[in-house]
Amino acid sequence: MKNLSLILALVGLAVGVSAAPEKAAKAAKAAKSGKLATVDSIRVAEARQNEFYERVEIPTPAGEVTEVSSIALLPGKKVAIGTRRGDIWVAEGAYDADLSKIKWTKYASNQHEPLGMFWKEGSMYAMQRPEFTRLTDKDGDGRADSFDTVSSQWGVSGDYHEYAFGSDPDKNGDVWMVLCLTGSFHAHAPWRGWAAKITPEGKFIPVASGIRSPGGIGHNDKGDFFYTDNQGVWNGSSSLKWLRAGSFQGNPTGNKSAALANFPAPPEPTSGSRTLAERLKFPEYVPPALILPHGKVGNSPSGVACDMSKGKFGPWESHMLIGEQTASQVQRANLEVVNGLYQGAVFHFLGGFEAGLIPVRMDQEDGTLFVGGSNRGWGSRGSKNFTFERVRFKGKVPFEMHNISARNDGFEVTFTHPVDAAAAADVANYTMDTFTYIYQSSYGSPEVDQTTPTIKSATVSADGLKVRLIVDGLVRGNVHHLALGDIKSKAGETLWHSEGWYTLNEIPAAK
Amino acid sequence: MVGYPLMRTPSLLALLASLVFVTAAEDGAQVYNTLCVACHGPDGKGLNGLPPLVGSDWPKGPAARSIKIVLNGMEGPVEVAGKSYNIVMPPQGAVLSDEKIAAALTYVRKAFAGGAGAVTPDEVKVVRAATAQRATPWTAEELLKDHPFPPAKTALKNLVGTMYKGEWKVMPDFSALKPALIEDFNVGVIDPDQSGLKDAFAMVWTGQFDAPVEGKYTFLFDCDDFGALYVGGERIAEVKGIGPVGGRAKEVPVILKKGLTPLRVEYVEFAGQEVVVLGYKGPKDKDYKWLSKSKGGKAGKPAKVRVFIPIQPKDGVAAIYRNFIDNISPRAIGIGFPNGLNIAYSADNLAAELFWNGKFMDGGHHWTDRGAGNEPPAGTNVIKLSSSQGVLLEGSAGDVVRFVREKDEKEWKFSAVKVAAEFKGYDLDKAGNPTFRSAGEGFALSDAWLPEEHSGKAALSRTLKVTGDKAVTILLARDLAVSGPSDGVAEIAGGLLVRAVSGPAPKANANDKSLTLTLKPGETAVLGYSFR
Repeated sequence: MKNLSLILALVGLAVGVSAAPEKAAKAAKAAKSGKLATVDSIRVAEARQNEFYERVEIPTPAGEVTEVSSIALLPGKKVAIGTRRGDIWVAEGAYDADLSKIKWTKYASNQHEPLGMFWKEGSMYAMQRPEFTRLTDKDGDGRADSFDTVSSQWGVSGDYHEYAFGSDPDKNGDVWMVLCLTGSFHAHAPWRGWAAKITPEGKFIPVASGIRSPGGIGHNDKGDFFYTDNQGVWNGSSSLKWLRAGSFQGNPTGNKSAALANFPAPPEPTSGSRTLAERLKFPEYVPPALILPHGKVGNSPSGVACDMSKGKFGPWESHMLIGEQTASQVQRANLEVVNGLYQGAVFHFLGGFEAGLIPVRMDQEDGTLFVGGSNRGWGSRGSKNFTFERVRFKGKVPFEMHNISARNDGFEVTFTHPVDAAAAADVANYTMDTFTYIYQSSYGSPEVDQTTPTIKSATVSADGLKVRLIVDGLVRGNVHHLALGDIKSKAGETLWHSEGWYTLNEIPAAK
Repeated sequence: MVGYPLMRTPSLLALLASLVFVTAAEDGAQVYNTLCVACHGPDGKGLNGLPPLVGSDWPKGPAARSIKIVLNGMEGPVEVAGKSYNIVMPPQGAVLSDEKIAAALTYVRKAFAGGAGAVTPDEVKVVRAATAQRATPWTAEELLKDHPFPPAKTALKNLVGTMYKGEWKVMPDFSALKPALIEDFNVGVIDPDQSGLKDAFAMVWTGQFDAPVEGKYTFLFDCDDFGALYVGGERIAEVKGIGPVGGRAKEVPVILKKGLTPLRVEYVEFAGQEVVVLGYKGPKDKDYKWLSKSKGGKAGKPAKVRVFIPIQPKDGVAAIYRNFIDNISPRAIGIGFPNGLNIAYSADNLAAELFWNGKFMDGGHHWTDRGAGNEPPAGTNVIKLSSSQGVLLEGSAGDVVRFVREKDEKEWKFSAVKVAAEFKGYDLDKAGNPTFRSAGEGFALSDAWLPEEHSGKAALSRTLKVTGDKAVTILLARDLAVSGPSDGVAEIAGGLLVRAVSGPAPKANANDKSLTLTLKPGETAVLGYSFR
């Protein structure tokens, strides 16, 4: 720790000697805000992962290229993967301690890039690029022989970027899907840039507009659906977005499809504005539930799962787990509803995966997290061309910020273990900065409207699990980045991760 | 915090000075290593099959071209260092300041582009202001129009192209034709795109080949569709007939004196792809040097460095391929039968639209890189049977709503249309043979395909069955010359025979050059398909 400060001091000094004082100020500010420490702290955190979680690569069928794009759970502890090449394989033994005996059976060949797969009533369901399909093995030989097209009502132009991601069924049996734009910039076919649901009878019902380039879709414990959308046009940063029925998600490129179903025209927002300003103008514009600050939290979010394993995966019940392709990680987020909108905090969580992650699938029964991915076409921190892995909780709860919750005058931070009260009550151990992005038709955005609120007080609860922060200078609409200093648990454990990013769409009323 | 005495320590001063220097010089490298590295790689050679900067002409030359790419990104087909790509580079203009873009490009040009000049923030500022209205990524075509690569210097001198419009299936007598265009293209590169036309034209290029030394020169010549190569006034190679590059390439050695020798290329494009491949190997050359925009491989195939991943029937079981297949709608289902016949069924049009023999498909395109674009069948004799709705009702469009798109000048327009039926899926038997299913209001159609042998030749048996209460007309071929049917056999242009085996027989319709089959409720027809 001392060495690190020395290096930072030297860098700060070195820049200071140069003829650019503002540069020095910027560097010092970056160092203080934890920007320089972030990359380093991720590496340190990944090194500690093994204390809490066991990450294991699952052997895939020998000699086969299995760029995992979907994961489905079958009865009898079988697990299926779908691949970008379109094969579907079923594994027996993927849960076993000895993975050398895993047995793979090919269920189907050369389907069209399934991105979202689940098993229901004896059939596999797969969201393929051109259609949503039910695949059934009627003769019981282990291979699908009946391929029913449940729906194929959306437009497909032939562009490689027109990905279609599908969810598990909701409580009505409807499957939710998100349709990427053409090349992620255009809408060259009907319903590109929309979310829709498909009923069990195959009815295709568009439910939300404004989508750009999704990386995955899933629901939380309340049954509300969320998808990840990647940084790009109208997306200053990547984010997790709530698919409220009838909502507009921010990107007007696909708006013209509304006329196909006689829907009212979705909003045409003003480029160069802010999300807050535009969503106050257009009530149907639902702001991102969770900004995943570009470069800080990740670069390209993918699969979405909710931990409903009742503690089997650690104390994260109802938290969202979000795959990250570029950084080969899984992030964790707590969500809450304030004034009718979802918002919450995202934290770094699991890392070190072997390729860019795409699907994230939680076995809620036994708390095993399955992830898979591929490096083809887009690089990642992982070094392998493709991977299929499982992660299990080892039983030791890491000392972490469990969640951050907004208050009228600040935040309440809940920890996983009681904190050492002296350090946790010291405001010097908390730094907060806020920022947002330009909401614009060009690609991405720098961080703008930066502020530095003051942490006025930190009060530790009687049980030591919560710290109430009174903050002067909350900014509605901004991401609030909270970095913790030298706070230890009562038992002396250091934090596994020390930062969280809270998207403050709404400031709650005083209770 | 840092006191005055420290500053007097010479070694520390040196360290600080070097840190200052490193901080300033690494700025561009830092931007590169944060944003660009994920695709272009730490060494600039491209990661995971993405375009390299090393060996590419793109980062060289006018800075404005590179600045535009960084500001607004790039999309669509592009050739980089001899390899074709069709991907999107995300724009960075909204994220990066002029200073950062200048630093990153300076770094790229220095580290990966052989010392191309530095880029200043002012240059970026000027380009940013000039392109402020630009909302979408650039295409390679647009960029090269404004910022072309320098004319390639080749051994071809004084090259002049003459273009002729017309349809020819054999080599015309050019002396009797009236040219539509004569132009000195000011480059030493033969490229059919210089005609500005896609189909039905001919080009003649004349110039001189500049031989650096006396000795044996081997010329490689190939084209799509046909052409001839003259060296020293003598026709040394000819590619005859309509067809693609690859199988018909000619390699011909000639002895040349040092200096200029007349060279002439005659080329005719009937329809489809337009390609001329011309290369030579001098007395000391190991590899071909290219005088044409298209480069040839050993056998004259376009030199795309790509893995061939054969997708083919295995152990007597038919192969399937669901992906974007060339010349058929996006919802395509390819089936490769073990007897060497192949079909591609359009789940949009409910019709078997492509028929070919030989190899089934090559996965090397869709299954590497990002998999952009359509993949043509890997085999031969590809016949395009139809490209419109294949299931029709008498006197009514139908009741099934589909959302379709249509290009109106520049914009894609969407509409909801009514058609007779929609795709319901397919079944595969143990041998992978498909039965495609479709249905509309009050009826269902099944369309089953099996490999068979007929008169000692590979054939496919097709069984069509209608259930429900409507008569259905099935489109078998359209806009193709159909002869017959006579004795129950119709011949479709390209040599495909369609036999009526049982049930109602197909009918040729002269007005739309189609072959159709009408089935009443409950009727079944069996057809046989084979090549003549």
